[in-house]
Amino acid sequence: MKSVWNKILRVDLTNGACKPEAMPDDIYEKFLGGAGMSAYMLWRECPRGTTAFDPANRLTFAPGPMQGIKQTGAAKWTAGAISPSINMNVDSAATASFGIEIKEAGYDAIVVHGRPEKPVYVVVDDDKVEIKDANHLWGKDAYETEDGIKGVEGEMFECVTIGQAGERLVRYANIQTRKKSFLGRCGLGAVMGSKLLKGIAVRGSQSINVHDPQEVDRLNKQINQRLIDMDNEKEEWLQIKRVGTAMATELFAPQGNLPIKNYQLADFPSGIKNLHASNYVKELRAKPWPCQYCVIQCHNLCEIKEGPYAYKGKGPEYESFAMVGFNTMVDDVKAVAYACELANLYSIDTISLGVVIAWAMESYEKGVITKDDTYGLDLTWGNAEAMVEMVRKIGERADGLGYLLGEGCKIASERLGKGSEQWAVQMKGQEIAAHNWRAQYISALNYCTGVASGPNHERSNSQHIWVGHIRLPEWGIDEVENEERWSWEHAADRNAKFHDYCNVINSACHCKFMEFRGYTLTDLCNTINAATGMGWSLEDLRRCGDRITQIQKLLNIRYGWKKEHDFNYPKRFMEPVDEGPAAGKIPVGLEDAIIDYYRERGWDDDGKPTMAKLKEIGLEDYID
Amino acid sequence: MKAFINCKEQEFQEGTRFIEVVKLIREAKKDEPMIKTIREKTGRNGLMFVLNGRAVHPHEYDSIEIQEGDDIRWIHPYAGG
Repeated sequence: MKSVWNKILRVDLTNGACKPEAMPDDIYEKFLGGAGMSAYMLWRECPRGTTAFDPANRLTFAPGPMQGIKQTGAAKWTAGAISPSINMNVDSAATASFGIEIKEAGYDAIVVHGRPEKPVYVVVDDDKVEIKDANHLWGKDAYETEDGIKGVEGEMFECVTIGQAGERLVRYANIQTRKKSFLGRCGLGAVMGSKLLKGIAVRGSQSINVHDPQEVDRLNKQINQRLIDMDNEKEEWLQIKRVGTAMATELFAPQGNLPIKNYQLADFPSGIKNLHASNYVKELRAKPWPCQYCVIQCHNLCEIKEGPYAYKGKGPEYESFAMVGFNTMVDDVKAVAYACELANLYSIDTISLGVVIAWAMESYEKGVITKDDTYGLDLTWGNAEAMVEMVRKIGERADGLGYLLGEGCKIASERLGKGSEQWAVQMKGQEIAAHNWRAQYISALNYCTGVASGPNHERSNSQHIWVGHIRLPEWGIDEVENEERWSWEHAADRNAKFHDYCNVINSACHCKFMEFRGYTLTDLCNTINAATGMGWSLEDLRRCGDRITQIQKLLNIRYGWKKEHDFNYPKRFMEPVDEGPAAGKIPVGLEDAIIDYYRERGWDDDGKPTMAKLKEIGLEDYID
Repeated sequence: MKAFINCKEQEFQEGTRFIEVVKLIREAKKDEPMIKTIREKTGRNGLMFVLNGRAVHPHEYDSIEIQEGDDIRWIHPYAGG
């Protein structure tokens, strides 16, 4: 098989051993790379009882067969491990160039485990690998750490680093790369912190050997030109390069999809006005900041020149913008952008951050916590100053509420009690993202049944059947009526397909944002074939996605998943809003839909894969 | 004559112009919330079309004739999130 090296790099931080290991073709044929590879490493090496902060936890950084082929979107890569937020297997994806460098260094994955006696960072320079002292970097933020590593190793290295929240084991700490992209969800930054691993720097010089270079080149040209043309055809305010994904808020608002006031409201007029894309561009001076090879350019560089929120750096994306802004009712665009960048520096996931601060605000409103708990801050809805200060308290794990919020709102609400579990919008320990289940019931089903990262809007992005109008016509999802948002008919089939679709994308390692603007499953399949020579059909692609979903489910079971976890959804799921397009809509029938989904997946009514299903996809030997 | 719209095989008469397909799809999608939002804001519905892997510009709609086996896709003007 081409476009892989049949080789991974193992880094044992306990004994300092770093060595390449062979990986046979059949593993790639089964799991591709990326998310599939990280799941496979857990399956092979982390038995039942392994926990997130256990040195034996495998933290796998994995590109896929699409890295290094120079296609737009093919800068994406994935990392996975056992998560400290959901205590099960997870994966998370980021972009920029770190994955490409891993590939060009001659590896299909870097697998890290163990724990050294003092902080370290790892340097991979093709086949030369060193573990170096990071004492001088410990305590620094994530960007300073990247600067510190590059200052010694050179600017040609691509880095991943963590800030103080990762060191201090905030359960939703993230990992950053290039000061612009993040392995955001499920606390992989805390896994790094638990291993006293402050960063990894990688540089590679090897060319990727693909199956059919001419066909890869032809596809790249055709796809790039199409995506450029499609974006140019749009009205300026819809062009992704202008404002990034934050522009989505004005399309989501009329659908009732935004999270507002800890998911309690359907409208927020001052937020809609002030957090509007045109205001974003004007106030934040947003400019495109593309990833390697990308023609879409959804990342943007922002600058606030003066005032309390002055900074220059990453502009918030939709999820950050929605969770830290709309969900806390802070309508000051500069404060929201600054708070998100502050979170980035500490290495805090902005989705979880927006939920835990909203949970704290609601607790404050209800008198469950007071100024005695909030360091004197008036933690009322929309108080930008207090919201920003709470980000600092969480990042620093300040004694009291700051520390508690760093545990995530499941643990925080269980410790605080007083009914606060009722408004903790989380499942399995992870906070819910910025797609509202009232706007499309399939989101509730997806959050309940996710296997790759708990409740996650990007491990099945089935919300986008309506929210973003993605279709998978190659797999039979095409004509869908708007009213079907609030129907369970076809929900199991559609959610399963989108789940498998996300797993294929996250394992081939390609950017899902290409699909919003004309990149198709056919393009993906053709590119995988041109790169690898596997000759897959569109059905093979689905089968691969299905197989990765099933191994993730087997891992869930290994690490303690129980059926009741899928049914223990937030109370807020069944609380309607009284205005807007989703007024009165709650996902009644969700329990039956979950069982339908189990059956669609080939699981029994307890949610476990049947042996017949495992045999069908070649995983019969993978059951514990 | 057969062509494909979003992977679904459909029968067309010889000489069918691309603009006719565009009109049909636009009509079918006109009440979708995102399309309505965009139309209210811009006067256009924003749907975009791809023919055999290539984006089709609006000024070409009238001049293209559907051919046997054409692969036509329509895309919403959404931008991520």
